[in-house]
Amino acid sequence: MNLEKVVFGFFVLLAATLNFGFFIGDLSDPTVHNVYELFAAVVVNLIATVLKFGDRTQIGAVHLATSLVADLQLIAATVMWAYAAHVSEEGMTEAATAGIVSLSGGALFANVVSVILLLVETVSFQRK
Amino acid sequence: MMQRLFFSAKKGRRRARWRTPVAAGVQASATIFLILRRMRAPLITLIAIFAVSVLGLTLVPGRDADGAPERMSIFDAFYFMSYTATTIGFGELPQPFTAAQRLWVMVTIYLTVIGWAYALGSLLTLLQDRKFRQALAVQHFTRKVRRLNEPFLLFAGYGRTGQALGRSMDALGRRLVVVDISEERIDALDVDQYAADVPGLVGNAGNPHVLEMAGLGHPDCEAVLAMTDDDETNLSVVMAATLLRPEVPIVARTTSATIGNRMRAFGTPTVINPFDRFGDRLRLALRAPASYQLLTWLETGPGTHLPGRAEPPANGRWVVCGFGRFGRELAADLRANGAEVTVLDPEADPGRGGPQLSVICGDATDPEVMDQVGLTDAVGFVAGTDNDTTNLCLVAAAQRVNPELFVVARQNDPDSTPMFAQMRIDSLLVATEVVTHEAYARLSSPLLWQFLSRLPEQGDDWADRVVGRLADHCGFHLENVWETTLTGRETPALGEWLAGGAARLGDLLREPADPDRPLPVVTLLVRRGNGDVVMTPDDDELLHKGDTLLLVGPSAARSALNAVIAVETLFSYVVHREYVPAGTLWRWLVQTVRRR
Repeated sequence: MNLEKVVFGFFVLLAATLNFGFFIGDLSDPTVHNVYELFAAVVVNLIATVLKFGDRTQIGAVHLATSLVADLQLIAATVMWAYAAHVSEEGMTEAATAGIVSLSGGALFANVVSVILLLVETVSFQRK
Repeated sequence: MMQRLFFSAKKGRRRARWRTPVAAGVQASATIFLILRRMRAPLITLIAIFAVSVLGLTLVPGRDADGAPERMSIFDAFYFMSYTATTIGFGELPQPFTAAQRLWVMVTIYLTVIGWAYALGSLLTLLQDRKFRQALAVQHFTRKVRRLNEPFLLFAGYGRTGQALGRSMDALGRRLVVVDISEERIDALDVDQYAADVPGLVGNAGNPHVLEMAGLGHPDCEAVLAMTDDDETNLSVVMAATLLRPEVPIVARTTSATIGNRMRAFGTPTVINPFDRFGDRLRLALRAPASYQLLTWLETGPGTHLPGRAEPPANGRWVVCGFGRFGRELAADLRANGAEVTVLDPEADPGRGGPQLSVICGDATDPEVMDQVGLTDAVGFVAGTDNDTTNLCLVAAAQRVNPELFVVARQNDPDSTPMFAQMRIDSLLVATEVVTHEAYARLSSPLLWQFLSRLPEQGDDWADRVVGRLADHCGFHLENVWETTLTGRETPALGEWLAGGAARLGDLLREPADPDRPLPVVTLLVRRGNGDVVMTPDDDELLHKGDTLLLVGPSAARSALNAVIAVETLFSYVVHREYVPAGTLWRWLVQTVRRR
């Protein structure tokens, strides 16, 4: 067992699950989307990105790309949340919630691709 | 399986004829991955510390503006952590903190300081890491070489020989790329004054990957020079260059005849063995002093003062001290010249003598041994050991016994130049200079090399006349040696004149300001379009289209001639003494008037 692979797989999967946890639920209902879950998703995604640094293989490059996409989407969602909660007059409206959640939905898609890549890598490794 | 083996063998043979790429860029592009990989741990630590701090701050109970209990939002907590962790410290925002919050902030301050210190420290260590810096330097070098878009010379080895040659090539406007094992020499490239930027790489030139990085595979690589101090490395360079780029000319130096033969086994490199060449030159100097003088002058390059002409001794016996590689080569050359040779060496075997050769075993600095050699009736003396102090002692001792001797000495260390300069030495061998001069003559212009290789067979009187003409026209300092091809492409009038069949060389080489005066240049050689060569043509030599001239003269004469060839009006004025208007309209008017 390779500890590096365990840590790597753990973070990639955790990033996807946290993202999914935040995303699931009624799109425009602020009560079913916990902001702490979004925070955790951002942090775990960032860690997953850093773990993917410095891999020179083709699959490593695609891994890094998916992670960067997820980071971008999640950070955009966070900024949108900060704007809605702290700057705008109306506060957390349904429209704002829908925007935040759909952005995190995009990130979820990137994270799913990341998990698929992880699976492909694992399967092709065993075949050798 | 058999089929596969056969196929790959066939493929291998086919590939050898094409350019074989050697993976070189991989090493350089790894740099960025190295940074990223090493920065993993510090970055993750930083992210984790930030996450824990922000999360903690949102969970610790606080107070709002009215004193009612309220927790900080993630947004405020992240804002606070960002300015606190980066030591900017705006204070307690948005509300003054409660004791519980201060307790947590205290913990986070120390945590984030550790995180930042760790991340920055790792980054700085990485930047100062030797390997990392090397990787950066290699990347920088390969990028520079890749972007070269003009022909360049690849120097493998940049010791004294390489430097001397490199400087004269740079003065001629050629580009260089340098590989050397010594870091000092590569660093010196930045400090020394070169007209063009010289990319340099610290590395073993014998390694094909290093050569590939230095542009061996570059389409603009015009020649490879194997100039390291080590014969084996030079051999590897020759091998790599001939196998990977068979069409690129190679110049290699060696002091060993065996290595020279091995180099030649790989194709047609120019192998310069200074001992061998010096022997040939010495024979020339003894047989034809003026030819030798002209040869030395031209191959030393621009800016050289006319060297003195040595007076060769009459035929007689020579004494050669030191019977190593140099002594052996020289004794053979002297015997081939008809001289009788006495060899003196502490480790020589007296039984190895032969016709015209007697070998004496003994220490040359011992006066008794010197008596035995019989210097009084000898005509020439060679101090050819591999130790400069011994050579100087030998020269001094020999001249005390017989001041009339023709003295040949070998200088090994370039630092002993001032001492050798003080002695009265008729012919001095400095191995680095022999190599530099020959490589210069071969690389600076193909016509110069053609001229020099035909020079010895022209005779001493001819050489004496050429030296006289050069001194009359251009003075005692060699200024410019250049080639000019007459195509007539830029100036149709020149093309017509050449096609007319009565184009005298003397009519072209005229001063543009005053066509009655000849240009102060000497034409050393004319090469016809079909490859025929005319040595030192006179003014009545007829020129044809496609001829290339090899000329010697001052810079002013060079630019004057270039102008005559390139500018139609100037050409007509110089050759036909006619004024042709420069503008199209005026020219048409003049032609129309003339026709009437």
